[in-house]
Amino acid sequence: MEQVLRKDKKFALLLEIFAAFFKLGSISFGGGYAMVPLIENEVVEKKKWVAHETAVDIIAVAGSLPGAIGLNAAALVGYSIAGILGTLVAIAGNLSPCVLIVLSFSVLFQQFSTDPTVQAAFNGIRPAVISLIAYAAYKTGKTSIQNNACKVIAIFAFCAMMIAPTYIVLIITAGGLAGIFLRG
Amino acid sequence: MQILMGMFWIFAKLSLFSFGGGFVMVPAVIAEIETNHWATAAELTNTVAIATMAPGPVGVNLAVGVGYKVGGLPGAGAAFLGITLPTTILVVFVALFFFKVYKHPLVAAAFYGLRPAITGIILYAAVSLALKNGILFAANDKMLDSGINIIFNGWHFFEAKSLVITAVIFFLLAKNKVAPLGLILLSGVVGIIVF
Repeated sequence: MEQVLRKDKKFALLLEIFAAFFKLGSISFGGGYAMVPLIENEVVEKKKWVAHETAVDIIAVAGSLPGAIGLNAAALVGYSIAGILGTLVAIAGNLSPCVLIVLSFSVLFQQFSTDPTVQAAFNGIRPAVISLIAYAAYKTGKTSIQNNACKVIAIFAFCAMMIAPTYIVLIITAGGLAGIFLRG
Repeated sequence: MQILMGMFWIFAKLSLFSFGGGFVMVPAVIAEIETNHWATAAELTNTVAIATMAPGPVGVNLAVGVGYKVGGLPGAGAAFLGITLPTTILVVFVALFFFKVYKHPLVAAAFYGLRPAITGIILYAAVSLALKNGILFAANDKMLDSGINIIFNGWHFFEAKSLVITAVIFFLLAKNKVAPLGLILLSGVVGIIVF
């Protein structure tokens, strides 16, 4: 009897985690660090699932792991509330809105991709996407490029990509090694 | 099946190196897909646009969009698993054992060099999309027919309309008042008017 009750409670908690991260996932336009205050507000202030200090640690770890910071943070918060099951539920909740939206956009786009108006619209959108990416480079550069050594690494990575874009993994690893060599 | 495995593998591999957001994956994804002749750079740029417009992480959106473009729903599923599975396992692993590892000086030193490399790669992502979409130094078959192409001595230098849009949107982003979704919709409307 008691165990059934506990199971019910656990299920309710998982459902609540799913709902909270579903909400965060549907409003997280722009991704990245834009997510951080929203996550903090939801899981620290509103739900009181994790303490403020834990949240700060989680954000720092989420940012230094590969992958999306918002998604990593969701996974870590889910883990600290309800273990591995919590992680999976938080990830599923966080990603279902964007997956559904991207899929519907893609299906729609495939239907209308030969339409001249749609093509004209995308002729305008493609340069905008380039600006968005260039701006992301500019923004990361403001914190990542602290001196001339960093400048050299950035230019080297840019040139290496020009020559051999499929060696991206090697290029990123080389950056990490250069850091260890310079500062380690 | 080969396409599904390919989708999974490309995104699984890149996900583990996608520090600092999904844009860093863009050039490598395009390079891998072009090598396999699964889609063209212009088609993939449209997918990147869709991935940026939607809420959620750009990397995951990119995987789902590219997966669908190349292999329909199964392709989207395979790419989704590829982008999420390795990092999820890594995150759980970190949560279990190494929660404090990021404070280690060696890790901090690695990031000191890794972050500028990421900046360089993201900058390349922007430049390579301009090169591949007929905006800068386009080959004859890549030029935008409805654009204003500046050609000198038979060499294509740039397409003026696109370059103006790029500059204006960058300025608006730096001014920091319009969300990316709004900017993309705006540039879509501008595209319908000028192209």
